[in-house]
Amino acid sequence: MAKGESPLKQFEIQPIIDINLFGLDISFTNSALWMTVTTAFILIFFTAPFLKSKKTNSVSDLYPSRMQVAAELGFSFINSLLNDTVGKEGKKYFSLVFTLFMFILFGNLFGMIPYSFTFTSHIIVTLALAMGVFIFVTVLGFVKHGVKFFSFFVIPGLPIYMLPLLIPIEIISYLSRPISLSVRLFANMLAGHTLLKVFAGFVSALGIYGILPLVFIIALTGLEILIAFLQAYVFAILTCLYINDALHLH
Amino acid sequence: MPQLEQVEFFISQLFWLGVFFVILFSVLTYITLPKIRAFLNKRDDFVRSHISKQDELIKKAESIIENYEAKLTEAKNQASQIINDAKDKALQESETLIKATEEKIQQEIRQTEERVNKEKALAISELNVQLKDSATNFISKVTKIEKGNITI
Repeated sequence: MAKGESPLKQFEIQPIIDINLFGLDISFTNSALWMTVTTAFILIFFTAPFLKSKKTNSVSDLYPSRMQVAAELGFSFINSLLNDTVGKEGKKYFSLVFTLFMFILFGNLFGMIPYSFTFTSHIIVTLALAMGVFIFVTVLGFVKHGVKFFSFFVIPGLPIYMLPLLIPIEIISYLSRPISLSVRLFANMLAGHTLLKVFAGFVSALGIYGILPLVFIIALTGLEILIAFLQAYVFAILTCLYINDALHLH
Repeated sequence: MPQLEQVEFFISQLFWLGVFFVILFSVLTYITLPKIRAFLNKRDDFVRSHISKQDELIKKAESIIENYEAKLTEAKNQASQIINDAKDKALQESETLIKATEEKIQQEIRQTEERVNKEKALAISELNVQLKDSATNFISKVTKIEKGNITI
């Protein structure tokens, strides 16, 4: 990074191909490019190992290859996540949670490559994902319970005189779900990448002593990879919990 | 902060996010995940069938062992009975043999005694006869002498 460049410059969106549809600017940008990379990688990673269908009908068919084991790991991870939070009914929402988790996880991880772009560091993207989850869960709640879904805001076993105070709090906390969900992911990505860039600036500024921030950056990169996984996990598990709330109310 | 300043790219970002999310979701839902699930189910079925087969085999082995043990105890009982029978029989036989032998011996003793007694009686009677004969002989001789005609 050149001296004096803002550490926020890495989040700038640069159009690659200008596209204009019905007066709307839907240019293919660096953000879209890394979404393409993420989508392609996930599809190849999880589909390719299972494309070769061995039909020898022997026991050796059942031995998974290395890539199959890796794909299986992701599959069973989300499977157990849904099983632990929602239970058996959660199987219907498996592909949604799986898609969300993998899209965010690999979006975060590809963002760790130097000179790449982290599309999850943009509030508009995370907000769109969180709003999608929020709308889906709310619709799901109304479809499953109808008007009874409003009883979700009434905590059972509470004295009646407390309700005027607590119902607004419950509603506000429900409505703030997409905001907290999106800001959590966005802020984590933003802060981590900015911190890395700031310390990278110190490396060249400090000369020979730049070795210290360099060591720090190496450690921080490890931490950022952990956070990349952790935030995808948090997003997925909160989605599972919201689905559980919509299915079982309390 | 470009995230909030570059408002002109919001629609582009939302558009491409929607496009890629929908592509990813549909391909995963309709192609990838069923394939993975089928693969895992196949393996689970295989493992489950082998476990049930193994249970069956264990049951079979247990019944064979039970059968074998029952037969073994039966054979042992039979063997001990045979041995007891043989012992009893041998004891009985030896007892009867001893009794018979004793009786025989006693009989022989009696017979011998009888024979001895008979022979004794015979000998005595013979002796009596001889004595009588010699006595008459003696008497006749004596009477001849008395008549005076000694012919000796």
